[in-house]
Amino acid sequence: MTEKVAIVGVGCTNFRSTTPDLSYRELTYEAATKAYEEAGVEPKDIDSFVSTAEDFFEGYSIADEYCPDQLGAVLKPVNTIAGDFLQSLITAYMQILTGRLNIVAVQAMSKASNMTTLKELELFAFDPVFNRPLAENPHFVAGLEMNRYLYDTKITREQCAKVVVKNKLNALNNPYAGHGAKITVEDVLNSEIVSYPLTRLDISPSSDGAVVMVLASEETAKKLSDKPIWIRGVGWCSDTFSLESRDWAQPISTKIAAEMAYKMAKINDPKREIDLVELSDLFSYKELQHLEALKFCSKGEAGKMVDDGVTEIGGELPVNPSGGSLGVGNLYECSGAQKALEIILQLRGEAGKRQIKNANIGLAHAWRGVPTTTSVIAIFSN
Amino acid sequence: MGITEKIKRNIDMTSWKDKIPVNYIYTVGIAGEKFFREIKDNGKIVGTKCEKCEVTFVPPKIYCERCFSRLENYIDVGTKGTVHTFTICYENVDGTKKEEPTIIAMVKIDGTDGGLVHWLGEIDSKDVEIGMSVEAIFKAKEEREGSILDIKYFKPT
Repeated sequence: MTEKVAIVGVGCTNFRSTTPDLSYRELTYEAATKAYEEAGVEPKDIDSFVSTAEDFFEGYSIADEYCPDQLGAVLKPVNTIAGDFLQSLITAYMQILTGRLNIVAVQAMSKASNMTTLKELELFAFDPVFNRPLAENPHFVAGLEMNRYLYDTKITREQCAKVVVKNKLNALNNPYAGHGAKITVEDVLNSEIVSYPLTRLDISPSSDGAVVMVLASEETAKKLSDKPIWIRGVGWCSDTFSLESRDWAQPISTKIAAEMAYKMAKINDPKREIDLVELSDLFSYKELQHLEALKFCSKGEAGKMVDDGVTEIGGELPVNPSGGSLGVGNLYECSGAQKALEIILQLRGEAGKRQIKNANIGLAHAWRGVPTTTSVIAIFSN
Repeated sequence: MGITEKIKRNIDMTSWKDKIPVNYIYTVGIAGEKFFREIKDNGKIVGTKCEKCEVTFVPPKIYCERCFSRLENYIDVGTKGTVHTFTICYENVDGTKKEEPTIIAMVKIDGTDGGLVHWLGEIDSKDVEIGMSVEAIFKAKEEREGSILDIKYFKPT
């Protein structure tokens, strides 16, 4: 039975604010084509497929039934995760660990531009009885969270703005990213307030795109790829859903998921042992919160890491070198896929202008966005 | 495999506009009945207490989300609380600008571990502070219908 599982092929589309030329199925088809080509496999060689879909975001009831075709998975074992891509990746990983399946493909896709009432759909994720009747823009949850986080830690809006500046700048060197820009801290602070203290530029813009990856057991991975990227540890955790009883200052689910993943990957000192991180920055302050929850610094210290340039591409711990969700775009359930993709490209040494030197161990993290409290982590090595 | 011919002109693109008409009735359940009846009939807020975890849930739950015990001990938790965090919303759900921004707070109900997410009223947004004391203001009894909107807002005490 295999104990090691590797990613042997990745494929993605560009991540852009709109993709009118392709249907959502064709987006996935494009990513799948690339991933299979890279892995040197055809759909017939793949034992199982794991897709990622949320009915309302896909625009279908029972959206999982619409997943097989574009992956080449018709008349094959398919299962669909209503969560983030990283949860699907973990499912595929566990399928291979059973020893019954050898090659598994994982998919996620965002066609946010098809959702003409995006915020209304997000509001549907709120408790219908206690929260939805207020009929407020879902960004209010991020506003509440950011305000309490800044209050508790004394982290400043300027430090949050620096995250936006860094990530959008990183995205300029990522040809896949759709929202790169060279902006200033003042630009962020002076952009219109959406839900105080959150401004327009503190929020990752929605984006389209698809990612497919091919996973294989150790022996097969070594045959298929000369640069297999190994899964070293995984963790996932969901906190209470209630707005009324959750912690408003800290993402505890990320902390617990990290403990699970670090234990599995035998990582004791994350800051020293991990070379780069792609973490959820759907809002600027989330990058700082998540740095703390992932134990790269103690509570309230993340602002200083940004001030000191530690998290820049040339820094001691590069964070979101891809541009993150702020620079690439909010890909909804495909967000974690973009994070994992960047880690894999970096560990292979294929990240072009944004390549990080001596990148051997990387961490990908996803949070499922407002109003969720689910966090997922995967740690990879080359 | 792969796409060999892509659409090259925006004018050639076709789309189908659709709506998903979703109507739903959400029954509020055992704890919800207690909670909303108390609000409607008596202008009171109730929670449930887990004696084992020493946690009081507002709104009430019939189980403890931490130890999973069954909770049957409903208690009147009063109508006063503290602003745990707040935000000022400038946009409607559809992204259009609000005529007047609204203030939303997570109000921790005093003496409990829970609270309510609701509007703040009778206060200027620049005067709102984390930690300030507030109380629930209910609609007139005859206007109440057993919903979270029976509370108009919380106002400073």
